Amino acid sequence: MDYLKLSISEIHKAILAGEVSPKELILSALKKAHEDKNNAFEYICDKEALEQVENLNENQKNNLLYGIPFVLKDNFSTKDIPTTGSSNILNGYVPIYSSEVYLRLVEQGAILIGKTTMDELAMGGTGTTGHKGVTYNPWDKTNSRLVGGSSCGSAAASSAGIVPFAIGSDTGDSVRKPASYVGLVGFKPTWGRISRYGMFPFATSLDHVAFFTRNVEDSATILKVLAGRDDKDSTSSFKPVDDYCSQLNANLKGKKIALIKGINDCINDTLILDTFNKVVELAKQEGATIDLVEIDNKLLKAIYPTYIVISCAEATSNNANLDGIKFGPRAEGESYEQIVFNNRTNGFSELIKRRFVIGSYSLLKENQNDLFLRAQRCRHLIVNTINNVLDEYDAILTPATPSVAPLISSVSSDKLSNEYLIADNHLAIANFGGLPSITIPCGFENGLPFGLNLTGKAFEETKLYSIAKRFEDITGLANIVAKEDK
Amino acid sequence: MEFEPVIGLEIHVEMKTKSKMFSSGRVAFGDDPNTNVVAVDMAFPGTMPVVNKQAVINAIRVCHAMNMTIDDELWFDRKNYFYSDLPKGYQITQQFRPIGSNGYIDIDLEDGSKKRINIERLHMEEDTCKQLHSWDVSLLDYNRAGIPLIEIVSKPELRSGYEAMKYVEKIRSIVTFLDVSDGKMEEGSLRCDVNISIREKGNTAFGTKVEIKNLNSLANIQKAIDFEISRQSLLVEFGDKVQQETRRFDEASKETVLMRLKTDSVDYKYFVDPNIAPIKLSEQFINDAINSSPELAEVKLARYKKLGLNEYDCSLLIADKDISVYFDELLKTNANPKLLANWVISDVQAVLNKNGISIKEFPISVDNLGKLILMIEAGKVSNKQAREIFEKMLENNANPEDLAQKLGTSLNSDEASIMNMINEVLSQNPQSIIDYKNGKDRALGFLVGQVMKLSHGQANPAMTSKLLTEELKRR
Repeated sequence: MDYLKLSISEIHKAILAGEVSPKELILSALKKAHEDKNNAFEYICDKEALEQVENLNENQKNNLLYGIPFVLKDNFSTKDIPTTGSSNILNGYVPIYSSEVYLRLVEQGAILIGKTTMDELAMGGTGTTGHKGVTYNPWDKTNSRLVGGSSCGSAAASSAGIVPFAIGSDTGDSVRKPASYVGLVGFKPTWGRISRYGMFPFATSLDHVAFFTRNVEDSATILKVLAGRDDKDSTSSFKPVDDYCSQLNANLKGKKIALIKGINDCINDTLILDTFNKVVELAKQEGATIDLVEIDNKLLKAIYPTYIVISCAEATSNNANLDGIKFGPRAEGESYEQIVFNNRTNGFSELIKRRFVIGSYSLLKENQNDLFLRAQRCRHLIVNTINNVLDEYDAILTPATPSVAPLISSVSSDKLSNEYLIADNHLAIANFGGLPSITIPCGFENGLPFGLNLTGKAFEETKLYSIAKRFEDITGLANIVAKEDK
Repeated sequence: MEFEPVIGLEIHVEMKTKSKMFSSGRVAFGDDPNTNVVAVDMAFPGTMPVVNKQAVINAIRVCHAMNMTIDDELWFDRKNYFYSDLPKGYQITQQFRPIGSNGYIDIDLEDGSKKRINIERLHMEEDTCKQLHSWDVSLLDYNRAGIPLIEIVSKPELRSGYEAMKYVEKIRSIVTFLDVSDGKMEEGSLRCDVNISIREKGNTAFGTKVEIKNLNSLANIQKAIDFEISRQSLLVEFGDKVQQETRRFDEASKETVLMRLKTDSVDYKYFVDPNIAPIKLSEQFINDAINSSPELAEVKLARYKKLGLNEYDCSLLIADKDISVYFDELLKTNANPKLLANWVISDVQAVLNKNGISIKEFPISVDNLGKLILMIEAGKVSNKQAREIFEKMLENNANPEDLAQKLGTSLNSDEASIMNMINEVLSQNPQSIIDYKNGKDRALGFLVGQVMKLSHGQANPAMTSKLLTEELKRR
């Protein structure tokens, strides 16, 4: 029996029943991590995980996460464990403090078995730009398909059956898009719901802690552990934490759900659209009211440029601390300027530098109104429009991605595009508004999964989970992992 | 040509809060380098700022003291630039919405009149780390990184070195009396940058602005500005142009010297810091901060005047905040305020001046000086004796009562003369003799006091007590 392919609640039952011990689980997860063929790991916590499993407090064994192995995206600070953000500029960096997310999981008895690869500093959506190279999609045995990013290693580790849940971060769609490509549940909560203290920032106003699980219930379980105020992150909310699992048995009767016409219209893959529509029909049969809602297409076209301008502007400032002076590898130089110049020239890939230039350019005095502030205004318009829809509907339902995982060979780097790319970028709406958003599996095309996405009102995670659970029941796609025969 | 100088000041005040502006790092001066540092202060990836509440309270108090409009929402912005002393690659400041705007203070001019100086803005920000450069290595001390600062920007309404000096003096008084800062220019806890230009009198356009940095005393502010006014005037007089540049004051030559020419100003790419959500300041919070504020110098002055002290004495007492605090403590003894003030202004101040120390280093505790002054007031010691005792107290802060006893040998110890006085006192206080016989111990103390008084404090108290007891037994 490979317990690592089960859901959290199933593994938990097996531990309580004495079918498997936490130590056996951890040893097995570590072994699988070492055998991983998807390039999912930056660092495998052999010593640390075993130490932690030895020190588990048996009194905690009723905690759902007791003895459960997990991975962290490599942008979560872990004391005494290397954390690189998959960037050369942080090679060998060993943090002196731990992120709040990590501490809360460890406190529950969950065991970190590894740090996972990502697009460099979380910038990118392909899982190909980290300093360790391409991360592969576990569903594709020929290693020719993307897993998507930027939380690529976490997506791969979980869908390959190594860990039942995996922590990532989501600034544009960095968890919810790869979730679609690997058949997992990918969730990000309301902005401010989970402390980001210790998560390397990419674009602060858009960044969220997010995570992969194999079913909706597990996702709600993880949120319950992570949600809540942290005084170290002043943007974290004081709102009380709900019991996110409390509404998982509700049905769709009376629920109002919106489809966005402009988004559906951009989906060219007929199988994906047909499957999606079938699911919609079944949901209607269950009693949901589902309407096709039209919003100004200009706003949808503005999503990508708005995202690029805001995220790059914040990123250039957020990453200005990476100068090689205080931590990380130190390049030599005759002066401070030279040292910083050399560090940043050697440390960042071309893609990152390009984003910094875009960000700096849009913040310059002469451009700020035209670019940065205009993007902020666009963001407000988009968010207001979406919130108006959510005032009338319980959730917005969209295909998560316009296709299954693309071929690696189709990736055209990160060059700016003159296309609007609505279907590829609409998930960023939830980042603009800080709205809770969940991707769950929807169907398969040629053996590759694709997902659907549900987005709800701020701080209404319980309702969103309730709706997502019904859709999970409708598709029947839960607890799926990629077959191992690489 | 007659010139008019146009002077504006930017003052940075380092706050003496317990922790830093955005972290739990300790604020302390003079500690070993890099001992008061937490992860936030060195900008380790993933760390986040948390606004220091006390720093906000301090800023509100200073704003109020300077009659400013206080913003009821706190916003912070990032000032982006690379420098070796700047850990994050940006400084968190309040560019777009400073906590305080449009205020003023009144300064006293030489002719006794007052001049109102308008203040453009007051904002909070964080200090950078300290750099120590030697010939082959540069060292960074992050103790200072993140210490809360307030920056106060005046309107360009100052017209002379003297006015600028008085302006800084007033601001220093405000921040020290409010317990916001040590306000020590020489140690950098109050730093002043001067912007100065000249123009022909009557002209409303501004001339080319020169910045003077690194002014470390009130006197130097005045000297540097006065020098700069004449330097710029001469240049223009002879048809030269003033260059836009940054200068510093050279103490040895008493001149300002060129540091660097200013070319196009740097674009700091300011934007609102997304790490700090805007914070609403309730009316209650703002009012509480103001109402619980320590007394400003002016308020103290008014209070002292009510005690019957004259304007001059008051001004001496409030010239230094710590001295006023010492004096306030002395007032608790309920001794005559005028007597207390005289001691502080003359005797105590003389010691401070002579030894070049501050009142905080003054060896005699408030308690003991209070006792001594009460002894004078009660006639237990003469002024002359009190000064002798005071001298002794300076050595080891001894209890003046004990010292008075010990000094007894130098007092009147002539048995016959003391007996004469005892007899005189006893004949005048027959009731006290009866009281004493009835076991009221206090009567003895009273009688000793009367003898001391009669002797103008010259009688040896120990001997007086002994002789008096014997005499009482005989009666």
